[in-house]
Amino acid sequence: MVSAAAGAPTASALGFAYRRLRRGFGSGELRVLAAALAVAAAAAIAVGLFTDRVRQAVESGAGDQLGADAVIRSSDDLPTELVGQMQALGLRTTRVTQFPSVVAPVNSDQTQLATIKAVEAGYPLRGQLTLAREPFGATETAPPQPARGEVWVDLRLWSALALSPDTTLQVGASTLKVTHVISDEPGRGGAFAELAPQLLMNADDLPATALLGPGSRFQVTLLLAGTPAQLTAARAIKLEPELRFVSPEDDRPEIKRSLQRARSFLNIAVLATILLAAAAVALSARQHSTRLRDEVALLKVLGARRAFIRRTLVLQILLLGVFAGGIGALAGALGQQVLASLAGPLLHISLPAPGWLPLPAVLALVLLLLAGFALPPVLASVDSAPARVFQRAADTQAGSWWGLAAAALAIAALLWLEAGELKLAGFVLLGAGGTAAVLAGCAWLLVRWLSRLRTRAGVAWRFGLGNIARRRGAAIAQIVALGVALLALLLVTVVREDLLASWRDKLPPKTPNQFLINIQPQQTDALRAFFAERGYPDLPLVPMARARLTALNGKEVTADSFEDQETRRWINREFNLSWTDQFHDDNQFVEGKAWGEEARGKTWVSVDRYGVERLKLKLGDTMTLDFAGHVKTLEVHSIRDVKWDSFRPNFFLVTPPGVLDALGFGAPVQWLSSFYLPDAQGPAARMLLRDLVRTFPNVTAVDLDAALNQVRSIIDRIVNALEFIFLFALIAGLIVMLAVIEGSKPERMRETGVLRALGASSRTITQGLIAEFAVLGLLSGLVAAFAAQALAWVLAVQVFELPYGPRPLLWLVGAVAGGVIVTAAGWLSLRGVLKTPPRIVLASGGG
Amino acid sequence: MSAVLINNGPGVIVAENLVKRIKSGSETLTILDHLNLHITAGESVAIIGASGSGKTTLLSLLAGLDLPSSGEIRLAGKALAALDEDGRAALRAGRVGFVFQSFQLLAGLTALENVMLPAELAGLADAEQRARETLAQVGLGARLGHYPYQLSGGEQQRVAIARAFAARPEILFADEPTGNLDSATGARIIDLLFDLNRERGATLVLVTHDTALAERCGRALRLQDGRLHG
Repeated sequence: MVSAAAGAPTASALGFAYRRLRRGFGSGELRVLAAALAVAAAAAIAVGLFTDRVRQAVESGAGDQLGADAVIRSSDDLPTELVGQMQALGLRTTRVTQFPSVVAPVNSDQTQLATIKAVEAGYPLRGQLTLAREPFGATETAPPQPARGEVWVDLRLWSALALSPDTTLQVGASTLKVTHVISDEPGRGGAFAELAPQLLMNADDLPATALLGPGSRFQVTLLLAGTPAQLTAARAIKLEPELRFVSPEDDRPEIKRSLQRARSFLNIAVLATILLAAAAVALSARQHSTRLRDEVALLKVLGARRAFIRRTLVLQILLLGVFAGGIGALAGALGQQVLASLAGPLLHISLPAPGWLPLPAVLALVLLLLAGFALPPVLASVDSAPARVFQRAADTQAGSWWGLAAAALAIAALLWLEAGELKLAGFVLLGAGGTAAVLAGCAWLLVRWLSRLRTRAGVAWRFGLGNIARRRGAAIAQIVALGVALLALLLVTVVREDLLASWRDKLPPKTPNQFLINIQPQQTDALRAFFAERGYPDLPLVPMARARLTALNGKEVTADSFEDQETRRWINREFNLSWTDQFHDDNQFVEGKAWGEEARGKTWVSVDRYGVERLKLKLGDTMTLDFAGHVKTLEVHSIRDVKWDSFRPNFFLVTPPGVLDALGFGAPVQWLSSFYLPDAQGPAARMLLRDLVRTFPNVTAVDLDAALNQVRSIIDRIVNALEFIFLFALIAGLIVMLAVIEGSKPERMRETGVLRALGASSRTITQGLIAEFAVLGLLSGLVAAFAAQALAWVLAVQVFELPYGPRPLLWLVGAVAGGVIVTAAGWLSLRGVLKTPPRIVLASGGG
Repeated sequence: MSAVLINNGPGVIVAENLVKRIKSGSETLTILDHLNLHITAGESVAIIGASGSGKTTLLSLLAGLDLPSSGEIRLAGKALAALDEDGRAALRAGRVGFVFQSFQLLAGLTALENVMLPAELAGLADAEQRARETLAQVGLGARLGHYPYQLSGGEQQRVAIARAFAARPEILFADEPTGNLDSATGARIIDLLFDLNRERGATLVLVTHDTALAERCGRALRLQDGRLHG
């Protein structure tokens, strides 16, 4: 075999490489190398395929996604002439009015906040709306709109209110019959942002519900369908600032943004996995290279040329990459299915079958891992001197600076490939480097402390702890690798819950849990009386008017006047203003002072700090605001820092009383309230809300607990997807550990032999091994918990301003989880070593 | 049958009709061929022979580190065939000491911890005290906290000898104890070994190819063709 190999042409180099790989695969380090490659490929392909499916769904769904070829959206009523203008261009149109309201079955005390969509005939213009008489029943194509007096609801509303076919619902002042449940609806926008269940009703029924009064919040969408030329003409029409023309290319920005954000998070998880896998590849390739040096020396003695050996080694590593990458791709394909089932439902779009697009990227990833981390050490063995067959010291391993350079280049390329953008790549690299350094520092201290402790332990523990102390470098590497993975998992699971709990604990008792919106000015007295009768004598009512900013210091401004994207978006919306002469302690004055009665009628405005930063305001500046055609100029009199999480209605802009209300310029005003309802899910509370809906159909009560729970259930799904990818990181961390163990196996076998010869029982040896790995895992878990706790503290105290103290439970969870996982992995990989016969300690082949 | 090499007195190491065969590819090699041996308490016996003659194989069988293909071995009065791996380990613990050619110190343990190991495995309460004393006796009283890599070859072998004697074993097996040392260091190590052995009265079985070393033992046996010759 070897003599043939020595002078072999290229063709046989492949055959030789294949045969060597098959035989060499029995050695642990090649298996570890393959496993590391497979895990990196699996994580990358799972995320790659999933995000690609979502991208395809967003792009290819086009018209179906909007329910039209294009739409015009408005946060107010549409100008009447606009529909005529569009129709004159030959476009088909239909209008949808959308707003939140509480609905309730007539004979039940259940209520539910829903998004009401009042549709005109022909909805949707593109795609198909399908209905069923009851959930999961036979589907049918929907008629052009619900009949008068009838509504269709989505599955979530059906379930929330435990509906049955033909249940009558109270919707505002009307009662409407639920005839169908919606199976599939094009144009169902909103993605992550759309929280509430939906109800579709006939637009002609809307006035009778009395839900929309002056100042009410609603959104109108005009759906358009026609030829590309007609649409181009429609797009060219200049629209009022509050109107937005949206075509499929610029629609679903929320999905695109969500996807981008989700992708960034998932990519960080993938990167963590890949970096850990890279460490495992580098470690196992180095071990393989040491073994190869003897073999290469022998091949040279037998006449093999360097070029042949080099070719063989490259082919061998490439074959391994193809094999491991293939296995990883299969595992990743299954993984993306899990991701799709975890996160897919949030997107409200049906995902197409997985495509092939991410495959080249994964191939590139595997090649990068090989080129950067596996090939340099393996190829270094080509320099092995033939004299090594006589004396191992005949050649020394030269410092491979080019190996380090290759690894650095590969890391840079991996970051660029996976993070996609330079900023994120830099952030990840800094974060990873910083985290690894901190973890390594902690691990070093713990290992040092442990070395002292072991003198007091029994023989098995001393042996186990001695192994950690002796292989200090390896132990620290293992602790860091596992610590990173455990840290990530702890952050997305335990710490997230912990922060949420801290935030909840911080809220004072009787923090408002109900919001009332859309209260008409003429209803305020009746509403106060309604609540006073029911034991709430001091219902706080706050007025709200809406306006658009038109000038600053007398100079006209539009969104284009600002370069900052956030300001542009902010300024495009209408501002909410209120007036009062009493400020609660959730409004802290940063500049200027709170005003009292004396300010009545003064054209002053107090601005929240966010607004000041966005608009670069200072005291004395003037803001000109347009209240639905009535223009008012106000002077900045104070700057406030508002605590937005106080659960009381708060506003960016506040004026003294007698400015917006008493001047009688007819600005649309509505009132808001927030109050604490004890036992909001209890029968008494439900009865009160029910009476409220009946008496004031247009008033919408928002149950904050329920809304928060809805947000949480969505966050939970996203986090589950993240946790799933971080599991790959944990596996990669374990593979790093296995790579280190693999390198220590020959020595461990010898030591087991010595212990056995000296009379140690299997139990003592097993105990020593368990002691070593339990402590290693414990340290990883502790280090991870420490880092998670530190990050949580920074987040809590610096970012969220929450009180946050030590959490012993977190340390315990981390330490125990680390101990159990690592002990299991260590025992599994070394149980063969435990069987080492004691005879190996006697010089082999001696006498 | 090979010559029966029997000494007077109770046999602390007894081998009867010992056969060891190993498979090498399709062939079966007979390393030990119906070998008999009887060693009494306190004796020092050298086993000499050419490379590949089976000296180390015999030593590993006598110490219960490996099992024979057939035949019987009694160590300290116990038949090894009746014991499993852990049973044989328990028999060795505290009763059998070893000095290996390549020292076989545990790199994770200090000199003191290495020497304590057999006494601890035997469950002796004064393991540390014994280890300290023995290390002082081999001249390493000042190096207790050193790790093997911090010691020279000769020092490592002295630690190994201290480890072998610390638990006051009845039997001591030494496998080419000077094989990895230069001749001057080797000579000092051998002096130490014999001095300690004389003082502690252990039965010594020494495997070597060095005839001068063998002559220092009470009895020297040559292993040839799978059998022992006196």
